[in-house]
Amino acid sequence: MISRVAENAFWLSRYVERIESLARLLYVNTQFVLDVTIEDIQRWSPLVVVVGEEERFQKAIDKNQQDDEETVRSFLTWDRTNPSSIACSIESARENARIIRETISLEMWETLNGLWLWFSDPKAEKLYRADQYSFFRYIRDQCVLFNGFALDTMLQSEAFNFMRLGASLERTGQTARILDVKYHALGPTRGGIELPMEIAQWQAILRSCSAIEPYFKVSYGELSGIHVANFLLFDKHFPRSVTRSLDRAWNFMQLIRPRGHKEIGQQSAKILKSLIQEMSSLTMDDVMEKGLHKKLTWIVDSVTDVCRVITSDYFTAQMMEPNSKDGSL
Amino acid sequence: MDQTNLSMKKKLAQEQLFAAYKPLAMTYDEYFAATGQAHPWTNTVVRHLESLGRDEFRQRARLASANFLEGGITFSVYSDNKGSERIFPFDPIPRVIDAKSWAHIDKGLKQRVEGLNCFLQDVYGAQKILKNNTIPREIILGSPVYRKEMQGIRPRKGNYIYIAGIDLIRDSDGTVRVLEDNVRVPSGVSYVLENRIVMKKAFPRLFERHQVEPVEDYPNRLRRVVCSAGSGRQSSMAVLTPGVFNSAYFEHSFLARRMGCDLVEGRDLVVKRKRVYAITTRGLKPLDAIYRRIDDDFLDPTVFRKDSLLGVPGLVEAYAKGNVTLANAIGNGVADDKAVYPFVPDIIRYYLGEEPILEQVPTYICDRKQDLSYTVENIHRLVVKAVNEAGGYGMLVGPKATRKEHQEFARKVRATPRNYIAQPLVELSACPTWTQRGPAPRRVDLRPFVLRGENTMVLSGGLTRVALVRGSYVVNSSQGGGSKDTWVLSGDGK
Repeated sequence: MISRVAENAFWLSRYVERIESLARLLYVNTQFVLDVTIEDIQRWSPLVVVVGEEERFQKAIDKNQQDDEETVRSFLTWDRTNPSSIACSIESARENARIIRETISLEMWETLNGLWLWFSDPKAEKLYRADQYSFFRYIRDQCVLFNGFALDTMLQSEAFNFMRLGASLERTGQTARILDVKYHALGPTRGGIELPMEIAQWQAILRSCSAIEPYFKVSYGELSGIHVANFLLFDKHFPRSVTRSLDRAWNFMQLIRPRGHKEIGQQSAKILKSLIQEMSSLTMDDVMEKGLHKKLTWIVDSVTDVCRVITSDYFTAQMMEPNSKDGSL
Repeated sequence: MDQTNLSMKKKLAQEQLFAAYKPLAMTYDEYFAATGQAHPWTNTVVRHLESLGRDEFRQRARLASANFLEGGITFSVYSDNKGSERIFPFDPIPRVIDAKSWAHIDKGLKQRVEGLNCFLQDVYGAQKILKNNTIPREIILGSPVYRKEMQGIRPRKGNYIYIAGIDLIRDSDGTVRVLEDNVRVPSGVSYVLENRIVMKKAFPRLFERHQVEPVEDYPNRLRRVVCSAGSGRQSSMAVLTPGVFNSAYFEHSFLARRMGCDLVEGRDLVVKRKRVYAITTRGLKPLDAIYRRIDDDFLDPTVFRKDSLLGVPGLVEAYAKGNVTLANAIGNGVADDKAVYPFVPDIIRYYLGEEPILEQVPTYICDRKQDLSYTVENIHRLVVKAVNEAGGYGMLVGPKATRKEHQEFARKVRATPRNYIAQPLVELSACPTWTQRGPAPRRVDLRPFVLRGENTMVLSGGLTRVALVRGSYVVNSSQGGGSKDTWVLSGDGK
């Protein structure tokens, strides 16, 4: 497929994943710990840090406003000067979809365009004011609907594989970031007995990944930082765990690489493989020893590297000579 | 509100749709004869719409508009730099053409496009028509859209015009006339198809009562004609777009989607050893045929505009070598130049030895001394057009303009007469169009689409554009125009 189109497909699904992830994070954070007292600064500022917009936030927002719940929420939801806001991600997702409208299915386009129209309408802001749960849930649901339509209505060929690859990698990074909220809110995790507010925080993190029930199935009801981190990093069956997401990324990367043309996509395959190998050789003890926060940062950075190499492997033309036979594959 | 009031309102709501409709004076009406009777071929439509009543009709009209927005069937507006998107306003009262009129139009269009294709072959070949003095040499060779680089280069199968959009109007006595030819990159066909889809959703029963010629097979036929001149390998065709910021991007994307081919930008293509390749995730893939939606000027910076970032360096060379089909061919502008338009009847006679089937509008060529002084003296009753502008720009509608505008425009015409032609104001036919106060007559034109390959076919109907502003003659989307679903009835239309 056309390289530029593949790149748009890759990014389209990353934006959708981002929208969904942030909507869920905000939805959970708006609700959680109503029974535990956590200062706003501990509860809301970490969100700005984990989406990677701390610096912009510090500059754009008045100092004495920075701890304010609504300020943070609105910065992450509506602020068009914040490229990580839901508003900007919806805009980018929809623009990417418009560019490759010929590649995605009608249903996918209608879903995303519908979300974009809804979000730009005053009605959306009214709902935000009146009922935030419904507001963020609606956004999350539309993203899930989009992915569902992708699965059920789009040709499952190269463009689809690029989309799934992008989504899987984005999800890997998102899960690592969400897991890191705890560090930014309440400091390092060391094991042992945790405070009620730490437990509440872990619960919120699980919910932000839609993981609470799957987690309890595996942990038999026990709730602790190490168990939660272990689950979100290493569980082989949970669709949002780092390990599972990387496995999926690997599968889609294999589908993209043409058989009999080993040189295509070599670099990106190599770097993803070594990341997966390193992850699988890690134990929870190793992670705790080096510090959870450090390891999560390493995961986020590694995923960024993989994406960079995918870009040079597939999206910017390296092989500029036609193939020997007729030039086609 | 008391009972009487309520029933009054109800009555009004159900009042017959066309009860207050008055055709314009001195104007052919697409629905009603001068006597006030519906034409035989619009009778059933009128009755069906009447049976819906106003409220129901209004609701369905709203449904139709929402459909365009939700489907993202939009065009971008250049004028505001935000790059906002608008829908092309859709009017839900269809324009209906009877089978007999259409047969005449269909025949006339095929003849005209054939004549223009012969003309292009000749202009870029032996130039017999110039030696013969049928057309003044300087009008052709002096045209800014004549591409001297193409002289002596024959495109595959001698086909220059794969796709033509010929603008037609009806004058006050109902005679169909050609207003303008578009044989470069005519646009609008996606709206023909989308209008039909939306219309069927909003008014399904209306279609049960009529035999309307289908339009859905256009993309398939387009694909076939574009591929017909080359290797015939359907997989190696693409649509070439200037990109997402182009106002017609929706259409480019639409056609690629319906033809099942790649949509590419200039930067997605490279030329190697005089062959065109697409840059794909698996290396370079050869392309054999390109439906290009980029103007000549921007196609290839090594030959035309050097500052073009939209084009593909080397494309013209590959094309000249016969290694790729470009649809349409390069240099077609010389055939639809407004200054050449007055000579098209002669062109048809010269190459085909036939009388032109379709009439056109009498035209004054300002480059001729006599015509220039006539134009300047009578500017208040003429329509003066810049020869290389489109979209309703660079145009003066004399009878609608102020004295000051007349003077200013006359000055421009005198300064560069070659750039202008003038025509009497044609009272474009009107078609009932939905307004706040119910159906009212609004002026329309018609752009049918002609595909020329091994055979020539005309898409049934085409794009009816309507001047939504009361009293306006300008139908362009950029100037307050909208569009309608256009029906060609099969057989007797019953």
